Amino acid sequence: MAIQTHHDTDAGTNGTVWHEAYPELGTGPIPIEPCVSAEYFELERERIYKKTWLNVGRIEQLPRPGDYFVKDLPVCDTSVILTRGRDGVLQAFHNMCSHRGNKIVWDQHGSCQNFTCKFHGWSYGLDGSLRFVPDEERFCDLKKDRLGLTPVRADVWEGFIFINLDPTPPETLTEHLGELGAGLEGYPFAHLTTCYAWSTELKANWKVLKDAFHEAYHVPFLHKRSLPDSFTSPDNPYAHAFAFRLYERNHRMSVFGNPGHQPSPVELLAHRFGASIVKRDWEMADLPPGVNPTRSQFWAFDANMIFPNFDVFVFDGTYLTHNFWPLAPARTLWEVKTYFPAAQNTAQRFSQEYSKVLLREALLEDASTLEATQSMLASGAKKEFVLQDQELLVRHGHKVIEDMVGFYRRP
Amino acid sequence: MPEARLPEQFRDLEQWIGWSLETEGERSDRRQASAMEDITAFYEAMLARMEEVLPYLEQFSLEELPDDAKRLFYLTLSLAEVAPAVEQFGQPSVVDGYDIKRFVASHR
Repeated sequence: MAIQTHHDTDAGTNGTVWHEAYPELGTGPIPIEPCVSAEYFELERERIYKKTWLNVGRIEQLPRPGDYFVKDLPVCDTSVILTRGRDGVLQAFHNMCSHRGNKIVWDQHGSCQNFTCKFHGWSYGLDGSLRFVPDEERFCDLKKDRLGLTPVRADVWEGFIFINLDPTPPETLTEHLGELGAGLEGYPFAHLTTCYAWSTELKANWKVLKDAFHEAYHVPFLHKRSLPDSFTSPDNPYAHAFAFRLYERNHRMSVFGNPGHQPSPVELLAHRFGASIVKRDWEMADLPPGVNPTRSQFWAFDANMIFPNFDVFVFDGTYLTHNFWPLAPARTLWEVKTYFPAAQNTAQRFSQEYSKVLLREALLEDASTLEATQSMLASGAKKEFVLQDQELLVRHGHKVIEDMVGFYRRP
Repeated sequence: MPEARLPEQFRDLEQWIGWSLETEGERSDRRQASAMEDITAFYEAMLARMEEVLPYLEQFSLEELPDDAKRLFYLTLSLAEVAPAVEQFGQPSVVDGYDIKRFVASHR
């Protein structure tokens, strides 16, 4: 099918005012204080991170019984062990010995029969049960069956592992993911098993990072070199996203792709053997209803944001995720992962290398302003961010957080 | 004669053998430490041979590449590494980019 390059109703130039669909959000400036305040940060930890479903990994990290990995969660004041037990069941536990509180597992991942504490040799099964206590007879009334590892709620959606540190979460993972999650089911996450991952610790508030990925307004400026014509066109010079959808706390925007994009020589070569963030020849028929939901011919990808800190950007044939982990009011651990099908040959592996390097370069541009921004936010010279219509997700994100934090409602 | 390190029909690429590196970290380090003229020369030499290189490599499975083919394969990964420097930035590093040394890969 020939792709039209002239004006189209969903090319992003149709004059839609997205804020009109969500009048409760208002249109005014929003406060900067939540991005610099230590008090705000503490409230986020207590009222959001310790009570919400958090993505900590994928099931491919636990392929066999006996496999485990550790996720340190300083934002929640804990470290969690994720295990696949002998029976194949996935479980999560606080990484803490029941005896004198030592951290049990010190490496980041592995495979074993038991976890044994380095301090006094207490040993636990992968199901968290206390199996062995050295010199046990010297304890008085030791109730071993009550001294297992402290469990953490864990659940899996489309292969993504989530935990919730609230022992009685007010909602299930399915409820938390809601319509956004339901619409993504059927995307080939389970087929895209090759993962390339980067991480970095940035001196910026976690919302400053997250907001940087929740609008495309920055694309023609920050990415003018790495992505000069992939997400912009003469008809859509400001990279207007063509569809937005806000749910209770999650949200999505569908990002415009330029059908007239001119691939570079190596890109052209790479695209013969695999997908990338800028490849355009996709098979719309295979996509579940929540992916390119308006079935636009200008679709590049959907940016799906799962509250509070997990983004899933789905393309045709590849997807990427962001996890933004708050460490301090002005410090964030940012994890990026990009996924492809397992390469069957060297050409496919070469194609993936190009795709991930191009993505990496764009991410290095994305990250380039954030510490400078944070340093100026700290100056206090300005009190507010000014947002335009295409920054709807930034506005919604801040409102959802404030609704849970209640900083501006406090006495 | 030094021992040949690439398959016979790709001996013309021997001069670029220093780019035959196994990990993204090594390839990126070399790119960042290289002069743009060297990066561009490597890019052009590799790109000119890719239509022969890719079919040649296709006869082997990824897991069982002979050593000389593996070195050639790593050269293709370095082409992917340097492509943005040549095609997008006109310099080894991302223009005004975040420090790549701080952007730590946990893959190879």
